Amino acid sequence: MFIHYIDLAWRSLRQTPLVTFLMILAIAIGIGVTMTTLSVYHMMSMDPIPHKSDRLFSVQLQTMDDGETWRTPDDIPYQLTYTDAINLDALPGEYLRAPMLRSGFSVHLNTVSSKPFIENTRVTGRDFFTMFDLTFLHGNAWTEEQERDAAPVVVIDEEMAKQLFGKTDVVGESVFLGERRQEIVGVTKKWRPTIKFYDLNNGSFGEAERMFAPFSHVKAYDVDTWGNTNAWKFEETRDFNDKMNSEMVWVQFWVQLDTPQQHQAYGDMLMAYMQQQQKLGRFNRESLQYSLQDVNDWMRYNDVISEDNKILVGLSFMFLAVCVANILGLLLAKFMRRAPDVGVRRALGASKRQVFYQHLVEVGVLGLLGGGLGVLFAQLGLLGVSQTYDYYAGLANMDWIMLMSAPLLAISACILAGLYPAWLVCRTTPATHLKVQ
Amino acid sequence: MLDMKAISKVYQTEMVQTHALRDFNLHVAEGEFVAVTGPSGSGKTTFLNIAGMLEPFSGGQYCLDGVDIGKLNDNARADLRNQKIGFIFQGFNLIPDLNLYENVEVPLRYRGIKSAERKRRVEECLELVGLAGRAKHLPQQLSGGQQQRVAIARALAGRPRFLLADEPTGNLDSLMARQVMELLEQINREGATIVMVTHDPELARRAPRNIQIVDGRVTDFTLYQGRSAATPLAAGG
Repeated sequence: MFIHYIDLAWRSLRQTPLVTFLMILAIAIGIGVTMTTLSVYHMMSMDPIPHKSDRLFSVQLQTMDDGETWRTPDDIPYQLTYTDAINLDALPGEYLRAPMLRSGFSVHLNTVSSKPFIENTRVTGRDFFTMFDLTFLHGNAWTEEQERDAAPVVVIDEEMAKQLFGKTDVVGESVFLGERRQEIVGVTKKWRPTIKFYDLNNGSFGEAERMFAPFSHVKAYDVDTWGNTNAWKFEETRDFNDKMNSEMVWVQFWVQLDTPQQHQAYGDMLMAYMQQQQKLGRFNRESLQYSLQDVNDWMRYNDVISEDNKILVGLSFMFLAVCVANILGLLLAKFMRRAPDVGVRRALGASKRQVFYQHLVEVGVLGLLGGGLGVLFAQLGLLGVSQTYDYYAGLANMDWIMLMSAPLLAISACILAGLYPAWLVCRTTPATHLKVQ
Repeated sequence: MLDMKAISKVYQTEMVQTHALRDFNLHVAEGEFVAVTGPSGSGKTTFLNIAGMLEPFSGGQYCLDGVDIGKLNDNARADLRNQKIGFIFQGFNLIPDLNLYENVEVPLRYRGIKSAERKRRVEECLELVGLAGRAKHLPQQLSGGQQQRVAIARALAGRPRFLLADEPTGNLDSLMARQVMELLEQINREGATIVMVTHDPELARRAPRNIQIVDGRVTDFTLYQGRSAATPLAAGG
């Protein structure tokens, strides 16, 4: 019977092409607008590293004196001091860890033909690559010795390798960061998480870095951050060394803790570390506090999805509701005009339920057609978003979940619009319709 | 087959109450061919609609083939209508988007009959009314008489035991009317109970039993002995 209903629906839609076109257009526009905002929202809110997001933790320490406040919900600064980052990096234990900051350099090959360009660089520990699932095409991360000795080495990604050398297998080649010559020890596959969750300081959706350098370079070569540096008290900082020894916070720190036991042990270690630092005159506080937040908690904590985005999604659904209301009006007129046919069907043995289903299948087919066109409109909308705002380029696309959701949403919206007209047409007494024939 | 006791039907508007049927009593036995006559507005069509469960009645008791209709919900009434009743309307009431084959197939689909059986029955019924060659035609491509024959084929496709016909020849010329009437007589001879509303006294006289409705009541019935294959002497009040 379902196939028969689809056949009837198709005939009915073809019978009134203009009304059908208007209804499909209305639902397609509604779906287009809704799916555009919903897709961006979906990409913003999706887990960027689902298989291990609950094992990666951002570390925060409450370094401020009692009475000081921060703009976070729990008053703990987002970042760590350089001192704390170095000390936490040196703590014992078999777990992955990565201090990090965003810096940048003028990159060139020191040849006449090489045109220098400015490149953001992630300055971090060697565990970073394992923790955040970067894949090496050639070579590997720098060694522990190279890290300790601040060896002049870097890792770049395949895109940058092609840009510099026209090929990806460039391990052993040299690249210049300003005046410094660095050896390339590894080339990674292109890595562009939609959300830059590991460093949310300068925008959550910025592009991931294409070049990586050991964290020991910070001290060895005075590599300053290109991200945020925040201070909570006055400190005189005349040079970079002063900054490294200050209570300013400018370094991110992540650990990978695979078990609850590791999590507990690491928390205990952080408390012990803070108590030890208290004895050295830091952490002037009554109660010591730390925070370990996994990837999804960290994104919520940092308001990755702003209220504006949520409001925008809400408004797009309201627009869809307006489209649904328009379709409802058109369906009402169309179905009531067909009431005599329904009367005949009822007289010939169709139950109210069968007539109701027949009409719901028709609006379902309408929704499917509108949903298909709506996906096209949404693609245009997303193209517009990505062309207008570079910032959203990585987010303005539909994954398969959104592609599947669009027709489902369209069908649901149309069925919602069709419920009342279908109910109205099926409940009228058959004799009333037959009399008008 | 049909048993109505003290049936009443009142149409209520804000201003006025209209009694279409009042204290309406009628018994039609299995296999009868009954012609219902009466002046316009007397309640003939209302009676036919109630008999076919196309509209509810206001009071009284109506049993069809032993089933008390007043106790059935809408779905059960639709089922019963589909299983036991065939309709022939004055205005044909064919569905314009469906071709003849599909029109005749409609009641069979609602009965859940399998495709092969549906095909067999539809072809058989179209053959019976002489329109097998026009199965793919749309209703508007046929004459009035042909359309009425399609309506009869549709009514017969479900093999109903009870056929309700409302002015089945009202829109036809005399030749076509005679053909349709002969078809109904043939169906009656094969065992179907037929109740036919008509204005035409000549047509009514061809039915073995006549009843007249005036002001919503059965006022007279006449029995023409020997006309029908089955002629039980049932009477209405």
